[in-house]
Amino acid sequence: MEFLSRTQIITALSAVALALYVLDLVRRRRLGEEYSLLWVIATAVIAILGFSTPLLRAITHALGMLGEASTVFAFGLAFAIAMLLYFSTKLSRLGLENHMLSRELALLRHELEEMRGSAGKEPR
Amino acid sequence: MSAPRVLIIIPAHNEEASLPRTLAEVRAKAPDVDVLIVDDGSRDDTATVARAAGVPVVRHPVNLGVGGALQTGFRYAVERGYDIGVQLDADGQHDPAYLEVLLAPMRTGTCDVSIGSRYVESTGYRAPWNRRLGMLLFSGVVKLALGQRITDTTSGFRAYSLPVMRICQHDFPKDFPDAPLLIALARRGFRLAEVPVVMRERQAGQSFYTLGKQLYYPYKNILASIMAFIRRPV
Repeated sequence: MEFLSRTQIITALSAVALALYVLDLVRRRRLGEEYSLLWVIATAVIAILGFSTPLLRAITHALGMLGEASTVFAFGLAFAIAMLLYFSTKLSRLGLENHMLSRELALLRHELEEMRGSAGKEPR
Repeated sequence: MSAPRVLIIIPAHNEEASLPRTLAEVRAKAPDVDVLIVDDGSRDDTATVARAAGVPVVRHPVNLGVGGALQTGFRYAVERGYDIGVQLDADGQHDPAYLEVLLAPMRTGTCDVSIGSRYVESTGYRAPWNRRLGMLLFSGVVKLALGQRITDTTSGFRAYSLPVMRICQHDFPKDFPDAPLLIALARRGFRLAEVPVVMRERQAGQSFYTLGKQLYYPYKNILASIMAFIRRPV
C-alpha cells in the first residue's frame, strides 16, 4: 500500500467536504435534488481518484496524461464544462418559459381591463 | 362565405411619437379593419397614446422582441375569431393603402402568408448597403432551402392566415421573425407569396435593429435557418 501524496489528500478531502456541503444545501432546500446529482457524482469521482492511487495511476497511464494531478484536473474541468452546458440549456428553457408567461400575463391583463370596462385606466 | 375578419397587429416598442400618425392613417385608409397594439414593454407613453386613439392595447410587462409581440397578437386573433392577421410596423414605414394589395392573394386562397415586398418590382426604395447585403444573403438562404425566391425576407408588412397564426402562437422565432420563420412555415406546407408595396422611411423612434443586433443577426439567422430546414416539421 502506497502512501497518499499531500496533493492527493488535499484533493480527496476537498471533494468530500464539497460533497457534504452539497448534501447540506439539499437538506436546507437551497439546492434542488435534480441539481445535486451532477455535483455528487463529480465529487465522488474526484474523491475516489484522490484516495485510490493505483486507480489514479492506471487512468493516468491509460489516458496518456503527464501526471496524476492532471488527471484529477481533467476530470474536474470536464465536470465544469458539463455543468455550464447544463446551465445554458436550463437558461434557454427558463427564458422560453418567461417569454410565454409574459405573453400570457399581457393577454390576461388586457382581458381584466376589458372586464372592468376601464380600458383607459392603468391597473395597479 | 362571409368576408374574412382581418386584424391589424401593430407591435410597438417606445413608439409614442409615430404611433398616433400611424393609427390615424390606418383609420383613414382601412376604416373597417380592427387594430390591436401590442406594446412590447415600452417605457414611454405608447400604451396611453394608443388608448387615446381608442385602440385595444395588450402590454407586455417586459420587452420580448417583435416575434413575441406578434405571437401575442396571433393568440389574440385566434381567440377572438379573426381569419387573417396583418403585421404592420408602428413607425409609419408601411402604408395601410397597400392593405388590400397584401390581402388579395389571401382572399383568393392562393397563399397562407402574404409578404409585402419592397423589391418585387422597382419601388424606388434604396436600403443602406449593409441591409442590402443582408437581404441578398437571406434571400439566398431562403432560395436554397425552399427553391422559392423571396426577395424581401425581412419585410415587416405581412398577412398570416388563421392556420398559420394557430401554429405561430405557440412556435415562433423569438426576436427576428424573418428568413427562419419563412423556411419553417414553408416546411410545414404553407404557401408564401410576395406582393409589391412601396415603403417609406420610419417617421420617428428607434428601429428594432440596433448595431449590436446587426452583428448578432446574421449568425443567429443563418443558424436558425439551417435548424428550421433540418428540423422535422411538426
